[in-house]
Amino acid sequence: MASITLDNVGKVYPGGTRAIGDVNIDIADGEFIVLVGPSGCGKSTLLRMVAGLETITEGQIRIGDRVVNDVEPMDRDIAMVFQNYALYPHMSVRQNLAYGLKNRGTSKADIEKRVAEAAEILQIGPFLDRKPRALSGGQRQRVAMGRAIVREPAAFLFDEPLSNLDAKLRVTMRLEIKELQRRLGTTSIYVTHDQLEAMTLADRLVVLSAGKVEQIGTPLEVYRKPASTFVAGFIGSPAMNLIKASSVPHLPGTAHAGMIGIRPEDLTVSADGPIQMKVAAVEELGAQRLVHGHIGGDAATVTMASDATLSDDLNLTYRPGSLHLFHPETGKRID
Amino acid sequence: MVENRPILNILAHLVLILGVAIVALPVWIALVASTHASNDFLGGVVPMWFGDQAWNNYSRMLGTGISTSGMPPVSWMMFNSLIMALGIAIGKIAISITSAFAIVYFRFPFRMLAFWVIFATLMLPVEVRIVPTFQVVANLGMLNTYPGLIIPLIASATATFLFRQVFLSMPDELTEAARIDGAGPMKFFWDILLPLTRTNIAALFVIMFIYGWNQYLWPLLITTGSDMYTVVAGIKRMSTVADTDPQWNYIMATAVLAMLPPLLVVIFMQRLFVKGLVETEK
Repeated sequence: MASITLDNVGKVYPGGTRAIGDVNIDIADGEFIVLVGPSGCGKSTLLRMVAGLETITEGQIRIGDRVVNDVEPMDRDIAMVFQNYALYPHMSVRQNLAYGLKNRGTSKADIEKRVAEAAEILQIGPFLDRKPRALSGGQRQRVAMGRAIVREPAAFLFDEPLSNLDAKLRVTMRLEIKELQRRLGTTSIYVTHDQLEAMTLADRLVVLSAGKVEQIGTPLEVYRKPASTFVAGFIGSPAMNLIKASSVPHLPGTAHAGMIGIRPEDLTVSADGPIQMKVAAVEELGAQRLVHGHIGGDAATVTMASDATLSDDLNLTYRPGSLHLFHPETGKRID
Repeated sequence: MVENRPILNILAHLVLILGVAIVALPVWIALVASTHASNDFLGGVVPMWFGDQAWNNYSRMLGTGISTSGMPPVSWMMFNSLIMALGIAIGKIAISITSAFAIVYFRFPFRMLAFWVIFATLMLPVEVRIVPTFQVVANLGMLNTYPGLIIPLIASATATFLFRQVFLSMPDELTEAARIDGAGPMKFFWDILLPLTRTNIAALFVIMFIYGWNQYLWPLLITTGSDMYTVVAGIKRMSTVADTDPQWNYIMATAVLAMLPPLLVVIFMQRLFVKGLVETEK
């Protein structure tokens, strides 16, 4: 158990390309932090820098009180769960779990005890003597987590661990990870590009874009008050509608905004609504339908009840207080 | 080609049978010849069916050899060949796997230069450098020794290249997982890399063992004492006798015996590495 501190952390590749710039995150002991962002935003690189698999060229990373910039991965007291599980294919599940402990010189009895405990927690007891190839994706994922648990590390690092699973399994495993982390109370950093996964797992979210932190906050903070147009468009599904202030009639209180953000669920059809939308396509989701179209020149989406009548042109109104305003140049939030 | 015309089937089989006959005929003749008495060949006609001297020929060759022409027993020559072939196969694998490990997993100056220098030697056959090699081996006093037979043939650019490709195909995550699990480079090599490449090692062993066993020119050059003769070079020595006809029955018996070990290696290692191929998953 330990806190993790990233202090002005940056990474510049030898060629001069900047991958990460000036990241500051304070992660409390036992906290579940999710790094989220589109592919290529540097979230995995950042995680690997914490793990010690990438060098840190600027700033400082501390695990507990110890600066770990030049500490080998094995000595950082962290455990990592990889996207492709990275189980050793020639070892049985038991050997996979025990390997890290064996390398540290843990006693045989102790290894056995810890493996049994981890197997119990993850319900992989029946597979302990199988090879990874004889396991399903979900079971492999559990073994990969088991390998992290047996180490009893200061922190878990997850690198998109669920992205190779099918949608249904992903939801169950997501819950299991969350529950497990609660139970063990181990500080965790979790990387994902799936904003839903990020929202449901995180104590706090770190939204990254192009190697920079866009916003840090609890899922609800980030959802309710996105700090920039990037965060607004990234968090939430379906994504928030971002409309140029000039392409809608003047709405009260939007005088200084360049961009107006409205979540699809905050829009409703109303004959005298101030916002006109041209409908282009409709997606039926069963419980509701998503209506896609254009407001002014910008693509927009509205959620509607599935029995609502449709026409090519909709007049929309919005829930009071649901507008997000963004600065015309910086794209930052205006409150 | 999904065609089902009987005439084409017959034609295809004819071609195949012809191919098999061309390849198998010399082996057949050797096998048959090794079962006749030596004077059966004096008429200049090669018999096409087995004779009754098989036991006599084989036991003579394995047991005493042809002492009149200074040939040791074939069993002894086969032992020499075995030592040489095993030495070459194991040595080649050991050296090339470690050098491939160095090239793929370590960042050091002139790494790629080292690789390309190794790679360039692929283009040099043994025969090109055989005279200087002989000089070196002679100066080191290794003529007529096992090290002299083995060491000059022990480096392999092909195997290094092959292991490099295998290592490059290993997922990086595996290396990283091992680093986090606290495995140092050598531990990673022993615990992860070696078990995962065992199928490739088996395949290479088969190829390199046969390569070593079939070495002809080099043993012929550096072995002068009959106790160091290898079986393949020995066949040649038997067939060039002065003042008398070659004893084809004995020569062919030796040839058949010389064919056996590579055959056994292929048969047994084949099973091992097919099994390995099915089991391993990267």
